[in-house]
Amino acid sequence: MDDELLELQKQFEFAQQAKSSIRLSERNVVELVQKLQELHIIDFDLLHTVSGKEFITPEQLRNDILAEVRKLGRATLIDLADATAVDLYHVEKQAQLIVADDAGLMLIQGEIISQSYWDNVAEEINERLQESSQIALAEIAAQLQVGSELVASMLEPRLGTLVKGRLEGGQLYTPAYVARVTAMVRGAARGITVPTNLSVLWSALQQLLHEMEGASGVAVESMFFQSLFNGLVKEGEVLGFLRAGVHWTPTVFAIAQRECIDSFFSQNSFISYEALNKLGISQPVQFLQSRYPEGIPLVTVFIHPSTIEMLDSATEDAIERGSWIDSLSVLPASFGSQDASKILSLCPSVQLASKANKALIVVESYIFSDGFVKDTYVRMEKEMETLCLSGSPGVFQPNDSLMVKEATGRLDSSRSIELNETIDEIGHTKQSVEKGSKKKKGRSAGSTKTAVAESGMDNQEYMPTKSKKNQRKTKDTSSLQMSESKSGAKKDAAKMQEDNSIPSEDWVMKQIMMLVPEFDEQDDPEIILKPLASHFRPMLINSLKERRKALFTENAEKMKHLLDNLQRRLDESFLNLQLYEKALDLFEDDPSTSVILHRHLLRTTAASIVDILFLNLDMHNKLKNGIEVEESQNLESISFNSGERTALAKSLQGSLSKRALAVNEALEGKQVETFMTVFRELVEESGLLLKKLDKKLERTLLHSYRKDLTSQVSAESDPVSLLPKVVSLLYAQVHNKALQAPGRAISIAVSRLKDKLDDSAYKILADYQSATVMLLALMSAATGDEHDCTSDRISSKRELLESHIPALKALVLATRSLD
Amino acid sequence: MEGWDPNTKSTLTQIPLLTTKAGPRDGAAWTQRLKEEYKALIAYTQMNKSNDNDWFRISAANPEGTRWTGKCWYVHNLLKYEFDLQFDIPVTYPSTAPELELPQLDGKTQKMYRGGKICLTVHFKPLWAKNCPRFGMAHALCLGLAPWLAAEVPVLVDSGMIKHKDDATTTSES
Repeated sequence: MDDELLELQKQFEFAQQAKSSIRLSERNVVELVQKLQELHIIDFDLLHTVSGKEFITPEQLRNDILAEVRKLGRATLIDLADATAVDLYHVEKQAQLIVADDAGLMLIQGEIISQSYWDNVAEEINERLQESSQIALAEIAAQLQVGSELVASMLEPRLGTLVKGRLEGGQLYTPAYVARVTAMVRGAARGITVPTNLSVLWSALQQLLHEMEGASGVAVESMFFQSLFNGLVKEGEVLGFLRAGVHWTPTVFAIAQRECIDSFFSQNSFISYEALNKLGISQPVQFLQSRYPEGIPLVTVFIHPSTIEMLDSATEDAIERGSWIDSLSVLPASFGSQDASKILSLCPSVQLASKANKALIVVESYIFSDGFVKDTYVRMEKEMETLCLSGSPGVFQPNDSLMVKEATGRLDSSRSIELNETIDEIGHTKQSVEKGSKKKKGRSAGSTKTAVAESGMDNQEYMPTKSKKNQRKTKDTSSLQMSESKSGAKKDAAKMQEDNSIPSEDWVMKQIMMLVPEFDEQDDPEIILKPLASHFRPMLINSLKERRKALFTENAEKMKHLLDNLQRRLDESFLNLQLYEKALDLFEDDPSTSVILHRHLLRTTAASIVDILFLNLDMHNKLKNGIEVEESQNLESISFNSGERTALAKSLQGSLSKRALAVNEALEGKQVETFMTVFRELVEESGLLLKKLDKKLERTLLHSYRKDLTSQVSAESDPVSLLPKVVSLLYAQVHNKALQAPGRAISIAVSRLKDKLDDSAYKILADYQSATVMLLALMSAATGDEHDCTSDRISSKRELLESHIPALKALVLATRSLD
Repeated sequence: MEGWDPNTKSTLTQIPLLTTKAGPRDGAAWTQRLKEEYKALIAYTQMNKSNDNDWFRISAANPEGTRWTGKCWYVHNLLKYEFDLQFDIPVTYPSTAPELELPQLDGKTQKMYRGGKICLTVHFKPLWAKNCPRFGMAHALCLGLAPWLAAEVPVLVDSGMIKHKDDATTTSES
């Protein structure tokens, strides 16, 4: 047995004796712990780590947390959860317990922060603050990664102790800095003399500070200035008052303002709001009312009652005198028209007058007394009347078309009555036209005249569509005027026509200007004239309308009469014409004589018929348009030459004019038949009737014609003029035809009678005729020389003729008696 | 090496192997062999202790170290069942494995030869032969007895063939 073996034996023995290490499985341990808890041996919560391998008691966790917090002064719960490897939920719970227990700790935004940490931070901040004289809280907060409010709340209790500075609007400042800025603010505030928006001031100061400190300077919050400023105001270092927090009105300014207003108002007894606005008072009415309770606020000015008194006396005067006044002329220049109207309404005299309807206020500031208005109106009406009388009725303004229609309707009943017109009428028209034009020339400048005339013409052109009737008359009228008063007058006439129908505002204004020349003194007479004109115009138009209506009724009667007359005359003349026409048949076989006779008939009878018709149509037109026409009786005396007739015809409208022109042309022609057709057309067109010649009527007419001629012949003493009458009478007796023969055709007419008369009678006639021809030849050859032998021969011939007269007379008269 | 559970295998590999091939009759060589056996046993014991898996006590019953006696135990249902253990080193050792005996269990189980010698698995013998002489007593205990106890004790306890000593006393008392 060697030692080594023994040694090994002992070692083995020892190894077997050695206590075996106790090994528990995790499972067992967990079970054990559960058992312990079941048995309430562990009577507190056991926490376990996130790995699930460790149990930890809350107390231990708290200790860990505390240790962790103490290390840095602050620790986030998330970091703590990592450090202790315990679930965040438990960490939070325990952290809350810790914080609740320990006053020196706080739990903020998932962080536990100790007061000592804040102390440290405050010291740090203080150091930095002393270096840079100001620090923004936001900056600190960003550095510390906490909210700036938290920083502020932490710093506040430490200000003045740990942190030597001042907290203002999120900035920390050192007292020195604050003092400096305060000085700046005080200086700026004291420098201000007018109301200022403080924010402007602050920005200016900011700029200044920025320049002083260069780029390093942190922008100073205007809140800081504001609070400093408020402090200064509170201490009375700067005087003034603050409105809405930013509007600073220095006392010195307020005093100056008040003094200025007081002095102005006491001197002028009014002040305009504009002036107050300039002085910086934004609500002048309230300001003035509170300051001068007795004052009266107007639209743009504020007045003392004395101003009203002044105006009142002036207006009272004007009203009593029956005159007018522009209140603006009495009031100071700064018064607006609205003010004037308001102040007028406050005047006792005006109130009284307007109550009694004795005053008229126009354009707010003008006051017219009742007397003045009435006077002007009456004068104007007169003026208008004269104008209307003189004017031609041709044109109505469109708004008058109703009246035209009315008139037309009324006229329809009396359409077929003869027209009646005189030369006097025309003359009158012409005269008045010229008068009117003179007036126009006096009043309106040449340039405007043309324009107006043009418009007048336009109007004329335009109107025809209104009514056919109107159309024809208008043409008629203007053609008349054109023919008589030449181009210059024509334009004015057009203008007059316009004016007459409705007094235009322009016209009324001009009238007022004429009647009341004082208006000229006004700066701009238009202003007052226009409303005044519009005040008068409806009245004028009304009166005009009434008058015209009256005229219409009157004219309707006249027109009826006129048309009646015309028809009668036309009938008479036309029948005669037809009668004469028949006589022409006798000479159908002799063309040359026939032509002479035709022409003669046209020149004489037909022409006079046409003239009558034209004139009456024209007159009717005038009447219809309400123009007063003086009826003249001597219609017989009218005679136109062809040119005048053409003008008249042209003035008629449309087809009527055409027909009239055709009639005129036919009149110049050689065929009575042609004339008859066109004339008939014209008459039909104008709405009149033409009687046809029938046998019975012819006989009656012829009879009267013969009787007429017989009496004429028996009364005739002039040998020359006796012959045609005798010839006509013979024709009437022999052929039963009324012959109208010119001198040239007499011989032929006489020769035609040869077969019908017995020889002695024919001889007498032929002799007489040849004697007459010789006499006429002698007379036409006579030079007028007294000593010439022709005169002797003429007288001898005449005597010869005269001696034949009884024979001739006996011839016809005897023949007649034979019937 | 199949036929054993992974724990056993891992434990086995940690037991130091022996080198000397000598039987009890080989004199000094046997002594040398015995020393190696001790070292292996110490290592195995320490290993068990450190794993809290101590399950036997043995000591040489004679100076030559050819007979060994001791105890072995197994814990089942929190009860420790302890048995006497004895075995002899055969003359042909190490070619022949020692026959481990549990005399207290003689006749109580089929997995046993007469005299309380445990029946080892079919795998044991070829493995042992293959590893001769590297396997020693420690290996035999580890490979033979430990699995046998683990397999047979629960069966024996459940069948009531063996009783815990406390129970035995209580029953005897009652």
